[in-house]
Amino acid sequence: MPPEQENAAAVEEAGLLALAGRGDHDAFRLLYARYGAPLFSLAVRFVGNTGDAEELLQDAFVKIWTNAASYDSRKSRPFTWAVTIMRRTCIDHLRRRQRVPAMAPLPEEAGANPGSATNDDGRQMAEAHEDAGLLREALAEIPSNPRQALELALFSEMTHAEIARRLAQPEGTVKSWIRRGLLDLRATLNSSTR
Amino acid sequence: MNPQLEELACLYVLDRLDARERTSFEASMQTDSELAAFVREIESTLEQRIRALPGLEPPAGLLARIEARVDRLPARLSPEQPRTAAPLWVSISRWGIAALLLLGFGAMEFRHLQRNPAAAARPIVVFVGLDSRQSMLSEVPLRQRPKDADASFVQLASLAEQMWEKPSDLPVKLHSTGQGGRGYALFDPSSSEGFIAVQQLPTAGTGQRYHLWIVDTSSGQTCEAGILPLTDATNGLYFFSVQPGFKARSGSLDFFVTTEKTMASESARPSGKVVLGNQRTF
Repeated sequence: MPPEQENAAAVEEAGLLALAGRGDHDAFRLLYARYGAPLFSLAVRFVGNTGDAEELLQDAFVKIWTNAASYDSRKSRPFTWAVTIMRRTCIDHLRRRQRVPAMAPLPEEAGANPGSATNDDGRQMAEAHEDAGLLREALAEIPSNPRQALELALFSEMTHAEIARRLAQPEGTVKSWIRRGLLDLRATLNSSTR
Repeated sequence: MNPQLEELACLYVLDRLDARERTSFEASMQTDSELAAFVREIESTLEQRIRALPGLEPPAGLLARIEARVDRLPARLSPEQPRTAAPLWVSISRWGIAALLLLGFGAMEFRHLQRNPAAAARPIVVFVGLDSRQSMLSEVPLRQRPKDADASFVQLASLAEQMWEKPSDLPVKLHSTGQGGRGYALFDPSSSEGFIAVQQLPTAGTGQRYHLWIVDTSSGQTCEAGILPLTDATNGLYFFSVQPGFKARSGSLDFFVTTEKTMASESARPSGKVVLGNQRTF
């Protein structure tokens, strides 16, 4: 989406949040129409099955409704704010269940041995449909370590310490890789859309 | 920007700061427009990553289940937001309503405004055209007083949107040379809310931001209406509100935009260079 359209959408969505915060159900439905699918996909990516993801999406949207009035556009864009709610909901769920999450395979892992990644229906569906276009190409251009660190930071409930153990690196290095991964992804996406 | 700050920004967007770090970082964003712009870029990158996940649709009926849960929640109060002189970006969230709800309303209503020069007792919308040398004001009476604050906002927003898409409808004309930018403001004195549109504004210098001011030219009372959240962009349409205590006499209202140092207090008086509106010295 071009930056102008993206910004216009963000402004509209901030308006919808403001209205939902005042109890406007129509605005809430419009938000669901915009955010339902990407947040559901995110939840599936996190927890690895559509059943749990449905429940978590419900929880997240109830929180969006409850907290819409406190949304502050100085602190984040509307979709990022909603993503944060969805991620926190998923992370709470995974930690509450105290189980090893069905980790999303890292991009290179998926490519190297897709059959071993998971046998979960939701995740397989997610991976099978993963956008094969611009984003995949952009991710492929990011060096392996920063990409892995970023994907773990974004799509898992792992703490920095846990990511560090998984990647066998100090926490400081992991944080640096996360930054590097994001900056590289931004640069690649920007150059691709020019 | 140094790598440490960039790292903090990335972790902030990823919601990976603890509460203390988060609060501190958000305070930094308030005063560092470069940092705030960087955060927006990182958010955009993250959002693209999320949206590139497969488009799995939630099952039909899930929204109904969510709404059923919402309906069971205890009724919440929806107090009117305090109307303070907030930064523009604070209040911009209300803007989206216009585009979504009233695409046809603005044009229709504005034609009514033009055809009905109403009595002074009627509510008005103030239009102010701005360029780098001067401003020009026009008060346009509204046909009907909006029934509540939301209706007032929607009406104003739809007008702002219409003007943005079709500047030739503006009731104030400026013969700008195109140098130094131009813009216009709509202001509803009854709600103390308005919109400002700017175009081709030069990029603010390092450590400077654009501040919008409203002034009662009869008394000289000046009040800050907000800070334009411009970074690299030089065009934009923004919502603003001014403190309810500010009152201007009919016909003596004016707006101007100055460049001010980043650290200038929001309550400070203007001291920088006027970049839009009638030239002033402070």
